[in-house]
Amino acid sequence: MVRESTDIVSIELAGPRGEPLPPWEPGAHIDVQLVTRQQRQYSLCGDPADRSTYRIAVLREEFSRGASMYVHDYLRVGRTVHAGTPRNLFPLLSSERYLLLAAGIGITPILPMARALAERGAHWSLNYAVRDGAQFPFQAELDALGDRVTVNAPDRAGRLDLAQFLAEPRPGTAVYCCGPARFTDAVEEAMAAWPRGGLHLERFEPKIGVTRPNEPFTVRCVRSEVTVDVPAELSMLKALEIAGVAVPGSCLRGVCGSCAVTVLGGEPEHRDSLTSDEHSATMYPCVSRSLTPSLEIDV
Amino acid sequence: MLVKNDFRRLDEAGLRERLGHPDQATTDKILDHLDRNCLAFLAHSPFLCLATSDGDGNADCSPRGDYPGFVRALDEKTIVLPDRLGNKLADSFRNILDNGHVGLVCFVPGMTETLRINGTAYVTDDPGLLAMLEQDHVTPSLATVITIDEVYLHCGRALVRSGLWDPEMQDLAAEVPSSGTIWAEASGYAPGVAQVIDDAMTGAYKTLY
Repeated sequence: MVRESTDIVSIELAGPRGEPLPPWEPGAHIDVQLVTRQQRQYSLCGDPADRSTYRIAVLREEFSRGASMYVHDYLRVGRTVHAGTPRNLFPLLSSERYLLLAAGIGITPILPMARALAERGAHWSLNYAVRDGAQFPFQAELDALGDRVTVNAPDRAGRLDLAQFLAEPRPGTAVYCCGPARFTDAVEEAMAAWPRGGLHLERFEPKIGVTRPNEPFTVRCVRSEVTVDVPAELSMLKALEIAGVAVPGSCLRGVCGSCAVTVLGGEPEHRDSLTSDEHSATMYPCVSRSLTPSLEIDV
Repeated sequence: MLVKNDFRRLDEAGLRERLGHPDQATTDKILDHLDRNCLAFLAHSPFLCLATSDGDGNADCSPRGDYPGFVRALDEKTIVLPDRLGNKLADSFRNILDNGHVGLVCFVPGMTETLRINGTAYVTDDPGLLAMLEQDHVTPSLATVITIDEVYLHCGRALVRSGLWDPEMQDLAAEVPSSGTIWAEASGYAPGVAQVIDDAMTGAYKTLY
């Protein structure tokens, strides 16, 4: 465990017998289950070539649901946590140029991306927005990447004015962005004039949005031949679990993507923070519901 | 069964004559706040019993359980207890409205010592506080905030003697009437209803939040 800043620690996880860990690519995350049985998702921020450990970083959030405080206060070297296999919903796709944007703890998936792009000799740059330019996570590692990295803080390169910085669309540039909701929302807004598909976002907080009131609906699970009533007060994921057609879920907040199901009929109401196409046939039942009285899903 | 409930009643002098007095070491460990060890105990505790009483002193004690650490320490003198789905009798809440004094005994599975906390409580629906207590995508609608008067680690003899954490002791459960049986008989339902209640409870236990 390394203290990266006043409120961020990084943690290296190794297999119990030191066995090589499953491979991963920049942008991947793992589920981590603490001894308190709380499960959270953390981006891998170490070196993919190092198969002996995974590195994650955790921000202490006093006013959150408690897992990050547990990590800071009680997780110690040598203790056991349960970690899942890496999944990647935020992969680096081929592009002419790359613009990486991170804020705060959102540097975690972006750091391995920056390293991979530097190794490839790609055309890339990174803007990292932090509160305090004197102490922020992975300072030495970011400095080692040279002048393609700009640290935006009042006492460094100055604050990043996203609206101005992103006003002009840059065709051929793929943008990869991770940070708190207000940062990712601001990037999304600033890039309104950019070509579709240029922005790749990873959120670790649900997108702030207004949803219509919950209505009950029915789900027909086509493969398991079960029909499930979803009452207004239960999530579709929970209703499926109770009916015995459990779909694996993890974040339960529409950000991690682990509960994805394919819709075969009816029209889902996407309430997650992953879907950009409102007509997408992939839905996340931990938060999403239905616009039609019934849905058919490939479960 | 009981012949007559008029056994000799002891006063404090009688009690002390039988029991003696506590060691200095025992009273020394009583704190008026949570120290780091008590905080660590709470951070790993998934279960407690909450004792309350109304303005007339009528007492009540009820179980509370959730993921380990569900009782959050806001600081060394303040803890908060989320309200989860229950029977809506609100016995504890109604008592707390009447009389804020509460007593808690907190358990960590596998640990024989228990943490006892006494304090003064109130009930709140503060949205910021409730958001911190979200579990399984459900935010509780109420929480109990407790200001701590006394904290102490209670020795483990009761749990050692009872074998509470011994897996082999769990064969006892099969000898007790099922919840459906107890419920149906207490309510004067027809005998067949017990199974219906048992099945319904099995379903209900899948919705925990």
